[in-house]
Amino acid sequence: MRLFHHLMCALLGLTWTAALAAQQPTGTIRGRITDNSTQQPIAGAVIAVGNRSTQTRDDGRFTIAGIAAGSDLLRVRMIGYVQINQPVMVTAGDTSVVDLALTAQAIGLSEVVVTGYGQQRAGNITGAVTAVGDSQFNTGRVISPQMLIQSKVAGVQVVDNNDPGGGLSIRIRGATSVNASSEPLYVVDGVPLGNGAGGGLSAGRDPLNYLNPNDIESITVLRDASAAAIYGSNAANGVVLITTKTGGTHQKPQFEYTSSASASSVTRLPSLMNAAQFAAALNQYAPARDTLLLGASTDWFGLIDRTAYGQEHNFAVTNSTNDMSYRLSLGYLNQDGIIQASSTKRVSLGLNYSQQLFNDRLNVHTSIRGSRAIDQFTPGDVLGNAAAMAPTQPVFDSSSSTGYWDWKTSNAAPSNPVASLTWARDHGTTWRSVGNVQAEYRAPFLEGLSANVNLGYDLARADRTTFYPNNLAAQVRQGQGLLYIANNSQTNQVLESYLGYSPARTYGPGRLDVVGGYSYAQSHAEYPWLRETGLTTNVLGDNGIPVATIVQNHRDIVDYKLISFFGRLNYNINDRYLAAFSVRRDGSSRFGPGNQWGTFPSAALAWRVSQESFMQGLGGLSDLKLRTSWAKTGNQAFQDYLQFPTYTFSDGQTQVQFGNVYTTTIRPSAVDPNIHWEKTTAYNVGADFGFSNQRYSGTIDWYTKNTSDLIFYVPIPAGTNLGNYVTTNIGSMRNRGLELSLNAEILRPSATGVRWTASVTAAHNRNELLTINPNRSVSKILTGGISGGVGNNVEVLQPGVPINSFFVYQQRYDASGKPIYDPVTLTNMYVDQPTLRDTVSCPAAPGCVGLYRPDGVINDSDRRPFHDPNPKWILGHTSYFNYKHFDLSLTLRAYLGNWVYNNVASSLGAYQNLTGSAMPANLHTSVLTTGFVVPQYYSDYFVEDASFFRMDNITIGYGGTYRGQQFRLFGTIQNAFTITGYSGVDPTSGLNGIDNNIYPRARTITTGLDIRF
Amino acid sequence: MNRTIKTFSVTAALLCVAAIGCTDPTVAPKSSVSSANVFNDPNAYRAFLAKIYGGLIVTGQRGPDGNPDIAGIDEGFGEYLRLYWYLQEMPTDEAVIGWNDPGLPDLNTGLWGADNSMVNAMYYRVFYQVMLVNEFLRQSTDAKLDSRGQFDPTLRTNVHFYRAEARFLRALSYWHGIDLFGNIPLVTEDDPLGATPPKQATRAEIYAYAVSELNDIIGQLPPKGPSTYGRATPEAAHMLLAKLYLNAAVYTGTANYAGAATEAQAVISAGYSLPANFRSNFTADNNSSPELILVAAQDGRSTQTWGGMTFLIHAGCGGSMSAATYGIDYCWGGYRMKQQTYRRFAAGDSRAAFFYTTGQTDSVSDRGDFTKGIAAPKFTNLKANGDTAQAKGMVDTDFPIFRLADAYLIYAEANIRGGGGSAANALTYLNAVRQRAYGGTSANFAALPPVDTILAERGRELLFEASRRSDLIRFGVFTGGTYVWAWKGGTPGGSALPTFRDLYPLPANELIANPNLQQNPGY
Repeated sequence: MRLFHHLMCALLGLTWTAALAAQQPTGTIRGRITDNSTQQPIAGAVIAVGNRSTQTRDDGRFTIAGIAAGSDLLRVRMIGYVQINQPVMVTAGDTSVVDLALTAQAIGLSEVVVTGYGQQRAGNITGAVTAVGDSQFNTGRVISPQMLIQSKVAGVQVVDNNDPGGGLSIRIRGATSVNASSEPLYVVDGVPLGNGAGGGLSAGRDPLNYLNPNDIESITVLRDASAAAIYGSNAANGVVLITTKTGGTHQKPQFEYTSSASASSVTRLPSLMNAAQFAAALNQYAPARDTLLLGASTDWFGLIDRTAYGQEHNFAVTNSTNDMSYRLSLGYLNQDGIIQASSTKRVSLGLNYSQQLFNDRLNVHTSIRGSRAIDQFTPGDVLGNAAAMAPTQPVFDSSSSTGYWDWKTSNAAPSNPVASLTWARDHGTTWRSVGNVQAEYRAPFLEGLSANVNLGYDLARADRTTFYPNNLAAQVRQGQGLLYIANNSQTNQVLESYLGYSPARTYGPGRLDVVGGYSYAQSHAEYPWLRETGLTTNVLGDNGIPVATIVQNHRDIVDYKLISFFGRLNYNINDRYLAAFSVRRDGSSRFGPGNQWGTFPSAALAWRVSQESFMQGLGGLSDLKLRTSWAKTGNQAFQDYLQFPTYTFSDGQTQVQFGNVYTTTIRPSAVDPNIHWEKTTAYNVGADFGFSNQRYSGTIDWYTKNTSDLIFYVPIPAGTNLGNYVTTNIGSMRNRGLELSLNAEILRPSATGVRWTASVTAAHNRNELLTINPNRSVSKILTGGISGGVGNNVEVLQPGVPINSFFVYQQRYDASGKPIYDPVTLTNMYVDQPTLRDTVSCPAAPGCVGLYRPDGVINDSDRRPFHDPNPKWILGHTSYFNYKHFDLSLTLRAYLGNWVYNNVASSLGAYQNLTGSAMPANLHTSVLTTGFVVPQYYSDYFVEDASFFRMDNITIGYGGTYRGQQFRLFGTIQNAFTITGYSGVDPTSGLNGIDNNIYPRARTITTGLDIRF
Repeated sequence: MNRTIKTFSVTAALLCVAAIGCTDPTVAPKSSVSSANVFNDPNAYRAFLAKIYGGLIVTGQRGPDGNPDIAGIDEGFGEYLRLYWYLQEMPTDEAVIGWNDPGLPDLNTGLWGADNSMVNAMYYRVFYQVMLVNEFLRQSTDAKLDSRGQFDPTLRTNVHFYRAEARFLRALSYWHGIDLFGNIPLVTEDDPLGATPPKQATRAEIYAYAVSELNDIIGQLPPKGPSTYGRATPEAAHMLLAKLYLNAAVYTGTANYAGAATEAQAVISAGYSLPANFRSNFTADNNSSPELILVAAQDGRSTQTWGGMTFLIHAGCGGSMSAATYGIDYCWGGYRMKQQTYRRFAAGDSRAAFFYTTGQTDSVSDRGDFTKGIAAPKFTNLKANGDTAQAKGMVDTDFPIFRLADAYLIYAEANIRGGGGSAANALTYLNAVRQRAYGGTSANFAALPPVDTILAERGRELLFEASRRSDLIRFGVFTGGTYVWAWKGGTPGGSALPTFRDLYPLPANELIANPNLQQNPGY
């Protein structure tokens, strides 16, 4: 800790004492460096004369003073361009002007990529970093920023959510944790969102929706740990850096207006019985109940889905002058969901403003963004009831108080989904603003030294109101109405200050780029909520707070602090040998004394083999860089206050009768006061390569990530703590994988007029839980709750298999391939697994696996891990075609080896749904094959291979000019088609692979117009 | 230039100072209380003890669910009494449940494994109670009260009662623990938290510990009366001792029927009585029954749970039964009787009066179908006079842990088994139970019957009161093939079970988590 202060202060001292050289007759050279094909200025080119050197500024200009008079050689070097050595003559006391144009050699390498606390040229990056610019973004109806890069980056899985704007997850190189978050850290224009991993607070949809995708310039994913390690304790899941659009270089106001309209429709629905099939089944299995059927033929899903329309308007004005630039943007989005009563509406406002002061030495950059999102949610019981409501029953009933037909029973039964759609309300409003002021001061007394201060904030308020009137059938049976109101708020502040030193001069054989700084982040959140059941009136709807029989009030206040010191050193020898080291020391409020501070170092080395003389001109090779890295990162993205032994009060419904009074109780918590960071140690080996002046380029990476001290909610030995589970640091997990991405400009317009660029990504990840407890390994923890029955879990956390592996019986099949059903034992339809250790007859006896044999009893011990929801391979392909004014792009995606548990089939695929004490529920058509009477939740029959191939996006555009103003017309089809063997609604069923009445997937057609003037 | 350097260095220095100033990341919780301050509130002692009582009936700090005490199981399933009921009733000749929820099917057949989630959760519930008691005892010593400046004599008196009650609750759970699992760890308030996994004690050692604890506290418990309803009284301790002594041969190999008779007599002499209406022990207003010695009290408004009586009343209702008849919102269609139990009741027995037979068959040919097997909705959420209770979803009915009829039957059985006491009294007590059941002396025994008759009588009197498995084991017929019932051993007609199934297995995870443990033989 203290060492860091000393280091920082020492660094400061160093800069002060940097002495000026002795005086002798000198002259000055100034000039401008441009790209000779585009005539655009080149920023950051290194200009060296003798032992003096500098870098070009953003406008390509440079000035070098103090050059000894006489003739000399001016060297201009920029990665991706051919180096120039230009003889110059310097006259004492005079200024020479040298303007030069560089020839591109491997243009992609010179692109500026935003990294943590700085930026780098793409060619000089030592870690696995992928930047996606706005020209490569997914198009069409994109509500959440993460969707912009779906299928674009190898190793980055954007997990779908079909709800409009619904919460997305990103997994970068697999999940690193079980109980802590596996979401990456998001940093928008230098402001980390939320308080750890993930996007922060929202009313229920994706928290990143506050950010209008149209305002985003680029998204950089720091995939490997060495690149992310500068973010220390929040970096284990990778870091996503989002840069918003700025003022540009137009030197005059420019206006841009984009408008689009879309229509979405349902692609697939669960396979349920129609009225005739249902009536036949009921007649066979519960003939006494025939009289219950009312002979209607209702398509319940047809009544709750719809063709959903959406519109979006974005307006932006940009301007820039020599010392100022701004971009002001306004966005409006209104998108309905394909299930009724779901929609999102967003108004967003953004301002980016940059000002150069003091002779361009001080650059002040402000970014302020605010949005309001109004979200409507389909009431939670609608999808399930649309599946389970009997198709023979009518929709309307004028005699009921809701106007809708429902089973008149006090027993549990499906209820009318249309009644719920009509009368229940579930909506949220999220207000959010994120902004910062960033000042960068380039010190005049030492070339290359700069000081940065970044003050940022993230304010969010998320209100959610849910209302179920007391006369809905399900509420009449239980609850008698529900009102839930939450008014959550979160205020985050961050102060970061750091010094950067990256002079044009060399130290030893190479150039230095050093950054060191301090960061202070704090968060204050309040989560008050009110929950009422037993409403006395529905008159107030979701607006008031009626008198109710049970009223629960709660308020949680959560504070969090993260204090960090960080530093990085990059060393670059002629763009050929590259080294990067970083270290971050974080102190977090989430840990107790002695465990608060953690240090997270990284090291990376790269060798640009293509720069070696022996490689010059070899087979058109324009770039070949070998990279290797090691880093240790942390994860602290879980609940606050876990280290404190707290007492929880009971609520008004869990009081205990103590003699003649009801007593509110207190419960001690089981804690591990020594809880500490989750650590991930990662290795990465990779190569970047390019041919024909980067016309063909690619990247390949192999990595392994070992997470240890997993923050795990695990069973503990009985008799050791005040609970049977405790959150502690136990166990380890490994992710191993391979990533490949290839980019090519296959056709160039020069030959045929057609330009075709294509990219392919492929990523393989294998997750394995190694241990749960290194000393006394707990064998398994059940997880993956499903709908159906009570407390059924179909997944397991078990060492030796991927996390969330399905944990099911092995179904036996008859000769015709139909699952066997044994109504008597209900178990003999499954395979008796070798679970009994028998050293006498095994391994010789038949049926033995090693020293284990089947024990002759089929019970819970015969469930075994069986596949898992994580895709083994994720493949992506994007093609862009250009022909004259037309453009066409395609995005394809495929997952291989992801498995899904079809919960709709397992819970509705049983004839017992017709005979139970509940009113008959509709059946899943799988029952026609299985013949299951009692639901078989644990049969592996319901675990399906959900590998798929999907045409995610087809976009056609026409761009032209009208009276000198640019415009573009475009049309997009999203989710054009999906090919899969999975029988349920959508093979991308969220993260946990359990398809339980998930929101169906839409096919969306969008058309729009983009004009600039 | 100089000015710039100055500005620059001053800014840098300020930032450096700021950095040094802000290096403490500690943040204390604001909206929750901790062990450091909670006991400064004198009400905290009662609140903590109430939690331990509540550990028998509610599942967490939010009703009916939402903030559970134990993890790894559905909150409603993980309720102490519900689990205890499952383990004591389902493998016996009494109850069958067709639900296919995890762990349940194997409880019907007796073919459970060490991974059975119900069995595992019961184990953790037992130790959850023990650990709460130990923590309470550590936090409520006189020294601790002194250190917190709590010298109020009323508080000190009450805390002394509370400590005795906590020790009673620990003995109760240890009894459940050894009855179900055999050899388990013995953890007391002297064992610090978070230490190494505890050593396994023998069944006999824990038996001896429970007996000595009960004898030690019996004089320190609060006297019976309105202010101790739902709390442990000396009579509750006598009753628990009677239960321990009655089964001493099972737990230790050495019988103590004399002890059982003495302790049962102590309860019988304490002034409880049998209400004429048998059913009034199981209604929404059963708190007014003069027969109940110890209850787990529920309340439709204030004490809500998905376990306990909520489960027993809802799950006993199904088929063509009307939920309103039992004062509830709807039927869960869960348990009913196996035919061996239904056939045990003779005509005229009022204890069978509430059985529901319409549309039900006598024989349980299909476990999944509620109509197979006669329903026995013994517990109801209506009051004895038929009035409705406070709510329909959650129930007011209290679970009778100990009641007088059981004490009568214990005395009779102990006497028949040679435990001494008065044979005449034994016959009187036995006939008192019969007389109430038949509304007269028509079914009275003329003389003390053979002991097997007591097993049958217990089956009739204590049906579905979570006593059956222990009784069958004491009579040696729970396992083996001398007495089989529907689905015993997994066959519809019933088949023999190996004797090792007299004990449940220790949880498979627990064996790995605690290397000191030795699994019960056979598992």
